[in-house]
Amino acid sequence: MKKFHVLTTALAAAAFLAGCGGNEAGDQSPRVAFTQMVNFGDSLSDVGSYNVGAVALQGGGHYSINGQGATGLLYINWTEFLAATLKLSQPCAAETGLNTIQAVVGVPPVPATFHDASTGGTCLSYAQGGSRVTADVGPGNALLFNAADSTTYSNAIGQLTIPVQKQITNYLTNNGGTFSDKQLVTVFAGGNDIFIQVATFNAKVAAGETPTQAATEVVTAMGQAGGELAAYVNQMILAKGATHVVVVNLPDVSLTPYAIGAGAAAQGLVKQMTTTFNAQLQAGLTAGNNLLVVDAFTASEDQATNMAQYGLTNVTTAACTSSSSLVCTKATLISAVAPAASSAPATLANGYEYADSVHPTPYGYRLLAELVGEKLAIKGWL
Amino acid sequence: MKKHSIASALVATVALCGAGAAQAQVAGQVMVKIGWNKIMPKVKSDDLTAPSLPGSKIDIKSASALFFTATYMITDDISVEALGGLPYKHDVVGAGAVAGVGKISEVHVISPTILLQYRFMNADSPFRPYIGAGPSFAKFYGTKGSAALTAVTNPGGPPTTVGGDTEWGSTIEAGANYKIDKNWFLDAAILKTFIKTRAPLSTGQVAKATLNPVSINASIGYTF
Repeated sequence: MKKFHVLTTALAAAAFLAGCGGNEAGDQSPRVAFTQMVNFGDSLSDVGSYNVGAVALQGGGHYSINGQGATGLLYINWTEFLAATLKLSQPCAAETGLNTIQAVVGVPPVPATFHDASTGGTCLSYAQGGSRVTADVGPGNALLFNAADSTTYSNAIGQLTIPVQKQITNYLTNNGGTFSDKQLVTVFAGGNDIFIQVATFNAKVAAGETPTQAATEVVTAMGQAGGELAAYVNQMILAKGATHVVVVNLPDVSLTPYAIGAGAAAQGLVKQMTTTFNAQLQAGLTAGNNLLVVDAFTASEDQATNMAQYGLTNVTTAACTSSSSLVCTKATLISAVAPAASSAPATLANGYEYADSVHPTPYGYRLLAELVGEKLAIKGWL
Repeated sequence: MKKHSIASALVATVALCGAGAAQAQVAGQVMVKIGWNKIMPKVKSDDLTAPSLPGSKIDIKSASALFFTATYMITDDISVEALGGLPYKHDVVGAGAVAGVGKISEVHVISPTILLQYRFMNADSPFRPYIGAGPSFAKFYGTKGSAALTAVTNPGGPPTTVGGDTEWGSTIEAGANYKIDKNWFLDAAILKTFIKTRAPLSTGQVAKATLNPVSINASIGYTF
């Protein structure tokens, strides 16, 4: 009996040990203890530069489905998901304003105002909808409004479209001229250069240039923009003390509802413009420990071909009825994704990649945040 | 043949060294062992289920822990052994498309095993190689998530946790013991376990993997 007692004691001890311990969250702090995030770019990183005046009246401000929790997700823009991941306070627009043409929109303009250190504020998201890499005037800028041409009326909203180069200059001017090693700096731009160059292409062809010649010119211009963006990152960010810089390349713009709707030829041109921009951006960047380039281009193509793997159900249709998602809310969604009750979140919209013809839904932005998070972890920053 | 003769010579030498002090391993005896076991998973991971980056896999690192056994000699050659021990704490790292993200989770595993063993050579031989086979039960528990796991599954959301799991598998082993005096003996064994696991994440995805670990252990035993 004593001998069997030894056996049963061993088994009982094993069974007892097996009962210990629950499933825990574990250490959720990033490996680098960031204190701030600084964002440069365009609408894809804009968290409310235009959340004033006419846009604020419509409950907008993000280029997506507006209203926190509108689709049941915690955040809207990828920079907001990322800030939460890095245990940072939520990003806020460093400069707000709208040069609204009151005669068209019916709402007065709102003067441009800084909310960064220059005015005692703490906002460091300089990214603005419509911003290009270098050129001052991007989509939505009031200077593109022409009273005689109804197709230009969308520009009457009067986006500031401060280009990325000037965004970085503004940061440096207003924040002591340097970056710190506790900042994560993100740069994500180029899309508005594509939209302007597509318009340029159409104008050139209309003026009698051959499509081949016009295409060559606009693709070259996109390559130049990519090279310029790389130079700004090298000279104005990396050379100014930043040690954690994330550059996101352009997703495949030819897969957006905007490009699909323009037809196969336009899609081909847009793809060429995108790849040329990305190639020159990549080629121009000074690689090093302080720089992380995230390949959103490859990810966007993979999301389109492997939809289900990413939890997507639709990668070709805009979820919003408004032409610009800047003023899209869950009350202005297509019937396929509209919530059953106005109080309920529009969870079906989380299957859609695009809110409007070019901007992601909150879920689409979250996928980008996951991609960036993965690359940050591999880099050792998360 | 040559190899066989070398093995025989070794066995003979060992047998000589222990001569005189040995108590026979005979039917009805109970032996206990305590030692150190290293478990080395040979992971074949399925892709993490959607929604996730395509080709996201996991790998599970080796772990070591104290183990103990109790063995009952049914006959002079056949024994039954119960194997238990302290929990193993394995690091789970990203693999496949998420290779390089580093540690994404950790998991505790306890894996009691019952082995039916056959012991070679005479009952009074101080050196007895043995082979064994039997069922293993594994409980995966006490998991911990990480910032990286949350970042790729629910960025900015509540921390993603990994569910536990219980599985049955089977183990085969080969080992040998060597008596150092009347009661005490040394033992070493290598074990191969065939087992799978299925870990659900709190965000809905499921990580499935074939673990099939190889274990090596060394222990000191006492014969009652």
